[in-house]
This record gives sequence, C-alpha cells and structure tokens, in this order.
Amino acid sequence: MFGPIASLSQLNRADGSASYKCPATGYSILGAVNAPIELPARRDALKPEEATVEVFVKPGTTTAGVGERYVEGILRSVLGKIVLGREKGFPRRGVVITLAIVGGENVERGDSYLTILPALLHAALLAMISASVPLSMTFSATLLGVTKSGDIVRDPSPTAAKAAVSLHVFAFSSKNHLLLNESEGRFEFDTWELVRERALSICQGVISSDGDVTMDEGTTSASLNGFIRETVEDQVYSDYAYKLDSI
Amino acid sequence: MSAPLVLLPSDEVPQDHLPTNSSNPLRLGPGLRILSQPSSKGTNHVLTATQAGLLTTDAKRNTVSILSFPNRRYIPTVNDFVIAQIHHSSVDFFHCMVTPHTAHALLGQLSFEGASKKTRPMLKQGELVYARVQSVGVGAGAEVELTCVNPATGKADGGLGPLTGGMVFDVSTGMAARLIRASSSSAENTDAIEGLVVLSELGKKLESLGGFEIAVGRNGKVWVDCSNAAESAVKVTIAIGRCLQETDQQNLHPHDQKKLVTKILRDMKLVS
Repeated sequence: MFGPIASLSQLNRADGSASYKCPATGYSILGAVNAPIELPARRDALKPEEATVEVFVKPGTTTAGVGERYVEGILRSVLGKIVLGREKGFPRRGVVITLAIVGGENVERGDSYLTILPALLHAALLAMISASVPLSMTFSATLLGVTKSGDIVRDPSPTAAKAAVSLHVFAFSSKNHLLLNESEGRFEFDTWELVRERALSICQGVISSDGDVTMDEGTTSASLNGFIRETVEDQVYSDYAYKLDSI
Repeated sequence: MSAPLVLLPSDEVPQDHLPTNSSNPLRLGPGLRILSQPSSKGTNHVLTATQAGLLTTDAKRNTVSILSFPNRRYIPTVNDFVIAQIHHSSVDFFHCMVTPHTAHALLGQLSFEGASKKTRPMLKQGELVYARVQSVGVGAGAEVELTCVNPATGKADGGLGPLTGGMVFDVSTGMAARLIRASSSSAENTDAIEGLVVLSELGKKLESLGGFEIAVGRNGKVWVDCSNAAESAVKVTIAIGRCLQETDQQNLHPHDQKKLVTKILRDMKLVS
C-alpha cells in the first residue's frame, strides 16, 4: 500500500502552506495558513485573550455548501484545541486556514464527508506547522470502513465507502490521546473498540504486548505520526541546508 | 557539536542538548515553553517545543531556541529593526504598515533625531522609514509602537529614520534574519557567513559603479539604494533585488549564488 505524499511551504505569499495527497482515497488537498492576522469586526470576540481559528474548505468544482460547513465545524473544534492562542501576537487575532480540494472525486451533496476528513486534517496540520503557529501537540488521523462481512478496511475509496456499513474517523495526538472520533452508520460497541485499536496502531505504529512502540525502521515510517515527522524534518533539512552543511 | 535535532510541537528538549554554562540563567528563545509537572518528589520542569524547527543553542549567551520555517509571518518583538511604510498620519502619530493584514503600528511624530514641534519630518503616505520596535504592549490587542531614535541618547543609531530614494523588495522573514546575522557577525571569516556570499559578491562586482546601500527590516523587507550609479541606478537596484529574492526563493548554495550574480549582472548588461 502506498503511503500519503506531502510537501510543505509551496506557496510563496501565504505564511504557511502544505499540499497533501492520499493515494488510497485519491484526494489531494492544498492548504494555506495566515496567522496571526487582524480579523475584521472581531475585536470583541467571545474569548478576547485567545486567537480565533477560522477554517474554509473550498471544493474543486463547486461553491462550498452544507457539507463543507459541517466539516469546517469539525476542523475548527479540533484545530482550535491544539493552537496555543495565548502566545505573543496571537490573542484577538485570527488563524485563517484555507483548504482547497484540488484532486479526487467530488463529494456530492448527501455523500458522507468523513472520507475526506483525514486528508483535510493532515493538510491543515502541516500548513500550520509550516506557518509556525504555536501548537500544543501534533496529531494524525485515519479513516476506517467496516464492510458488510465485518472486515475493517483502511482508507476505503469513495465507492467502497458508500458500500460500507459504518465509517469511522479517528485522530490521535502525538502522545496517544484520542482527539477526534466521528462515526457514521450502524455499528456495535465491540466493533467500535476493534476499529479504535486498529486506528491507534495505524497512527502510532505497531504496539507490542508490553505497551512499547516498536521502533524498528519499517514500522515507524509506516505509522502516520512518523510520516508527519518525516515530512517536517525533510523540509527543515532542506531549508537549513546552509547551516547543516557547515556542521 | 551534537547532531542537528529537529523538534515538533510537544517534543521535549533533551537535557544533553542544553548549554552547560551555569554562570547566567538559561534563556528561552521563540518556539519553546516550560511546563511544570507535579510528581512525587516536587515539581518537574520540562522544556517543550511549540513550533517545528531546528533546535539551536548558544553556549556563550546561554540561550536555547527553535529555528522555524523561514516563510513565517513576522511578529513584532522589542528592539527589532523593521522597514515600515506610512499609511496615514494623525496629530501625534504616523500610522505605519509593518506586515500585511495586521493593525497599524504607531510611530510618534516627534520620535526622530532632533525633531521638535517646529522641525519634524513631514512624511507622506507611502513613504518608508527604518525604525526600531519600541514596545509591543501588554495583553490582547495592544498596539505596536515604533521609534526612529535611541531613547537613551536621542540619536538615530544604526541608520534609523526616513528612507529616501531606493526601492524596497520583499524577502522571507528567515532570509531577513539571515542577512542581519551575516552582517552583525564578526568579520573574521567574511565569506560564507550563514552561507551567504551574494552581498559580498555584488559588492565586489558593483564597486566600479559606485556601490550600493541596503537596509534590512526584520519584517522581511530589504531596501536597496544606489544613487551613486547615475544613469544605471535603476538597473543596479533591480539587479540587487532580483539576486536577493532568487537566492531566498531557490535556497541557493554559496557556489550557485556566485553564478546567479554573474548571470543577472550580464542579463542586465551591467558588467560585461
């Protein structure tokens, strides 16, 4: 199975940007972040001592509708929790995240928006890291579908997702905390527990029986948190090549 | 020197990477915070990263900080030198733009060298000043204040004041910081400080045309002026700006920077 492909700081004029492509579902997202900027008419925000996180999702072919509003709400609540909005320069300002869906199948009106949620989450996180927005932690997210026969499928394609009995999106922080759980369809608690364990192993790498994360080369690069780390490290090494060459 | 260490938000700074100088207290730079964890034997203090980047330490000044991505937005910090553009003026202040999409910074009408009620610079909309950040205020939504004099001496140290003539170019904030570090570090190894040879190379090649003057603002602006070059002044200015911007965008190595300078000067028919 091919892993996702991502790169950072592709746009010149945004403060931070990232592109993210998930080959399994076919979605490709371009994310841009501007922070901290002045939001018009937000001087008396509900929480004046914190930054306001704004998320905009732009579909490739149409204007944003109800589905985009729904997913924007989910993204805003997850990302708003990990942004440290009280750092210098951030209170009363805005962190504006724009995510454009530049590739993959259209999400039709009435289709489940969960299929694209992990790609949006990863693109938003990488773009915020690239804009140096202070964060309390990083995370990674995965989509799992449960088929009629009870199999758990990782990253089902949009057609497979339509046929699935239930769909689940999980996000785990870099410290193994469950950050987000969105589930759709009919499922029992035992199924959910199995799916959660599978999602944790995808995000964190394989966990052996004694509770330690096995650290050999194959599993760390296969885990999604490891993937986020590698993407960021690659960008730092290329940006600071002039500094690292001299060491 | 230990191997370069890249940290992500929530990563802890390992003890063995901290500078071991104990004569003055450890100072935290941007991108790091201290967290206290209560444990059985008193509280534990750990340093964790809030931004992704390269961990750098300075043993002499006993500081530790994170070098984050160069394309980030500039956040005003006290004592930084910036290039600001006048937006409009009011009775007591000039309202200046330091970064786009943020509130205007205030520059006092009288905070120039030798300014009094009668003699003070009459700056118009769009004019540029080289200023120092005097205060960033406390709390949410506070205003940033700039000054063009050193309040202790009343003099315009380091070229502060209105910038007349020339042209301003946008570079990334990381490149601006690099240019400032390169110019302030000691002249013992003048070539390839911070991997930058583009300015010294330009200086060598353009000496015959009368040289040039630049000012670097921490907010990612570089002001270039070469009024000595007479009729080719515009060409020289643009050539310098292009060299700096391309070095920044393509992240060129010192070897490629020299090639770029030669190529651009030849393209602009400045040096045969």
